[in-house]
Amino acid sequence: MMLKGPTGCGKTRFIEHMAHQLKKPLITVSCHEDMTASDLVGRYLLDADGTVWHDGPLTLAVRFGAICYLDEIVEARQDTTVVIHSLTDDRRMLALEKKNEVIQAHIDFQIVISYNPGYQSVLKDLKESTKQRFAALDFSYPEPRIEADIVAHEANIDQSLATTLVTIAERSRNLKGHGLDEGASTRMLIYAGKLVSQGVSLTEACKVALVLPITDDPDLRDSLSTAIAACA
Amino acid sequence: MSITRLTDRLGHSKSGTVLSKIRLDSPEIRSAFPDNLVARWFHCCRRLDSAGYGNVVLSAYVRYAPKIAESLDARAAFDLTDSISEVAAKTGRVEAEGLPYAAYVAAERINDYRGFRVWLSLIERFAAVAPESTAALLERMEHLLKNLTIGGLESWILAGIRSSGGDGEQRLRFFSFEDPESSRWLLYESGSVTFSSMAKRLGPFLRALWRAAPPMREPPLTATEQAKRRSSFDHGVIRMPTSFPGFHGAHAEDLYRACIAHIGAHIYYSGPRFPVRKLKPIQIAVISLLEDARVESLAMREFPGLKRLWLPLHAAQTPSSLSPNNALMAPNMLARLARALIDPDFEDFDGWVMKAKTEFFDQENNWSNSEMSRELGGLLGNELGQMRVGWQFDMRNYVVEPPYRDDNMGIWDFGDDDLPQDSLEAEQLFDSIRIEQQPDDMDDPAEREKEEPEQDLELGEKPVRIEVQQVEGIPVARYPEFDYLTGKDRPEWTTIVEYSGAKGPIQSIDAIVEEHDDVLHRITSLISAARVSRPKRARRLADGDYLDLDACIEARIDQRVGNTPDPRVYGKWTRQDRDLSVLLLLDISESTRDKVVRSKASVLDLEISASVLLAHAMSQLGDPFAIAAFCSNNRDDVRYYRIKDFNQPYNESVQSSLAGLESGLSTRIGAAIRHSGNNLSAQQSYRKLLLIITDGEPSDLDVDDTSYLIEDARKAVQSLAHQGVDVFGVGLQTSGRSYLEKIFGRRNSIEISRVDLLPKKLPMLYLRMTA
Repeated sequence: MMLKGPTGCGKTRFIEHMAHQLKKPLITVSCHEDMTASDLVGRYLLDADGTVWHDGPLTLAVRFGAICYLDEIVEARQDTTVVIHSLTDDRRMLALEKKNEVIQAHIDFQIVISYNPGYQSVLKDLKESTKQRFAALDFSYPEPRIEADIVAHEANIDQSLATTLVTIAERSRNLKGHGLDEGASTRMLIYAGKLVSQGVSLTEACKVALVLPITDDPDLRDSLSTAIAACA
Repeated sequence: MSITRLTDRLGHSKSGTVLSKIRLDSPEIRSAFPDNLVARWFHCCRRLDSAGYGNVVLSAYVRYAPKIAESLDARAAFDLTDSISEVAAKTGRVEAEGLPYAAYVAAERINDYRGFRVWLSLIERFAAVAPESTAALLERMEHLLKNLTIGGLESWILAGIRSSGGDGEQRLRFFSFEDPESSRWLLYESGSVTFSSMAKRLGPFLRALWRAAPPMREPPLTATEQAKRRSSFDHGVIRMPTSFPGFHGAHAEDLYRACIAHIGAHIYYSGPRFPVRKLKPIQIAVISLLEDARVESLAMREFPGLKRLWLPLHAAQTPSSLSPNNALMAPNMLARLARALIDPDFEDFDGWVMKAKTEFFDQENNWSNSEMSRELGGLLGNELGQMRVGWQFDMRNYVVEPPYRDDNMGIWDFGDDDLPQDSLEAEQLFDSIRIEQQPDDMDDPAEREKEEPEQDLELGEKPVRIEVQQVEGIPVARYPEFDYLTGKDRPEWTTIVEYSGAKGPIQSIDAIVEEHDDVLHRITSLISAARVSRPKRARRLADGDYLDLDACIEARIDQRVGNTPDPRVYGKWTRQDRDLSVLLLLDISESTRDKVVRSKASVLDLEISASVLLAHAMSQLGDPFAIAAFCSNNRDDVRYYRIKDFNQPYNESVQSSLAGLESGLSTRIGAAIRHSGNNLSAQQSYRKLLLIITDGEPSDLDVDDTSYLIEDARKAVQSLAHQGVDVFGVGLQTSGRSYLEKIFGRRNSIEISRVDLLPKKLPMLYLRMTA
């Protein structure tokens, strides 16, 4: 499965929940540009007697039937990502060339990737052949009432404050594409809420958790702060 | 020695009166000039006297120089003499006469000898550059220095000189404040809070609150003074005052914010316009006021914090603190009502005000109905009008209070059809005249001999585009054409004629930028990733900066197994710099006039939009780029328009040329390719790219054989490849890809089927190609 959506919308939380529901182990890999195929699949390491093969996280999942979650898969380079192709079509197998072994995937094995299409560079996009191997779930900001419930629960604050925070987030989301790459995520609201619950003023909490992190532009910071001030 | 004897020794002057009346022993002189400098002072006076500038100059000097010496330094007075001579030499008597007083004002303001000298030198330089405006400048020195530091003054002067572009008359208009630009620049340089300084903050604020983003402008040049004092929202354009006099610093900023928030509330909550019909002015004023209160109340329900923005700006006084006359005047009554409707603690003892307040809040549940304002306001306005006999409500001079509220023109339907539909168009007229008058930095010698542009100034009509009388194009080059039937080039067969195109209104370019604001933002962030050349990892090298782990392990394994290990176990980070030049070539043949599916625009409009966005991207990336357009009228008139050259900055003149492109004639693309290739190969970059946007099959009047020009174009592309120039073709709405691929090759061509997406796609395409 492919989980698509902006950051901070609950993709990782969802996967954890699913692993719990399905009673399967979850192996998470945070992808980055330096990642090579060996990092996923495994490599020989040297020890006193000689070399010994170590399975990578992907191989472990394949062998033992876990969910392998590749977070922010776009960060990895495309020549690394193609290593999953044989697992994501009807072959469902992983070839370890260096080890001369072919593993048929465990029946419980699942691969999940997270993908944030918004601000990825045109140079760092998923290959079409990779994209088409997945079914996608769209993640975006929850409905305001639900989002307020989430924020209230996670940050341990009352409903009215949570609702105010959600209103504030909506203001920042109106600026997506017009100065901001993304508006405030649910996660940021939770952080702001936590600060407030510990005694920080709402203005200060919003400034620190919402405004300052998402933009450096002084004009935008000013506009956003003014809009936030209008909400409460 | 005694003073009187000094005078004797220096003798009498020629003109006599003024000089001889100088009392060297007066208290003023004695305190201004220490003993040893008095002689020098007199010497200066004599110098001015004998220079022949006349009595007035000398009198002025005698009057003010001691004061200057007193407040600054005696040397200041002497320096002034030199400056007077300088200025008089460059300009004339009048200016020399005005200088001493202006210097006195400056000395008082600047209060520092060194600064004063800087000022003097500024004036001297100004007199040399702008003699015709010197008197005007000196006359207004007091006003200028009230608002500006010396640095600001210099900046302002420079703005005036640059914007006049060497035209003395224009300069004089600027420095006499006949040109509204002067005040605008003065405001800007004085650092006061102005619309232009706030604009970038107000737009996102409005958008964040209500997702609204109408264009914001200052009042048009044709607006009345009254109209310029308040914001306005009408015909889809928000007008904001250039500044709010009397408000400074943070107060002014908050005022602007309150202003834009109020307009936002109107945009969101106001309903259809109220017809004026037979309403009296006082009723109109009251209805407007109630509508203001209504939309604000609704806005405050959603955004309670807005109250903190609006409430402090209501400064209407309660009647007990006013004289009875004032208290009864309509504007005051209205201001008090406005305050009563927003300020719960404000008590007014006037029956009408309190009644209005009660009725307004009684209808709280009806606030979402805009009719409420009209009905209630009409009744209340009528009452107010009838209450005071013999007292006029002066609508013409009425300015709504508090100052953050708009003039409410946007909520009324006056039933007039001859008001300008969109005042932005009228502005375009004035602005395009101004751009025409600015000299182009890269003057094309072929473009001289322009006729006076004709203007049609009736504001109600669509603006007429200012057309520059086109000189006949200049033939610049001949190129061969390939005949596929003979398999050979025909030398010197086509002639490229370079034309200077018409200039168009750059507002249309601004509109494109505004419309595609989101794409531009996206491009900018992509660019910052692409611009700093990304480090690329090179692995398995014989030498490098770090050990490539995989290679090392394999080498080790090989060793153990008994094979020869591969020594290339290193890796290195390398940076690839961007080193490419691009020429964007636009097809502007007749077929580009066609409208695009799913859009109101023509193919040419979209080509222009795409070019604007691409140019924006390329100018930010720093890639050298050029833009050209072509069409053809037979083989000896292949028209080539150079819109932007490589060494030209992407400025207003370029944008104006882009805006002025017009569709017409045919598509003899091979010749254009060859000419562009020539331009490009002169560039020094590693990679050279010719990016062609075309919408149709190559064709021309004198060619019947459809394959002929296609084959020629293909040959042209190949010959460019020999010169080291890459060619890429973008096809729009082409009936089939076949000829596109035939000319450019499958890998170097792309068909854009949804042409309305061209502006978005082109910059992405460019980035992908040049990564």
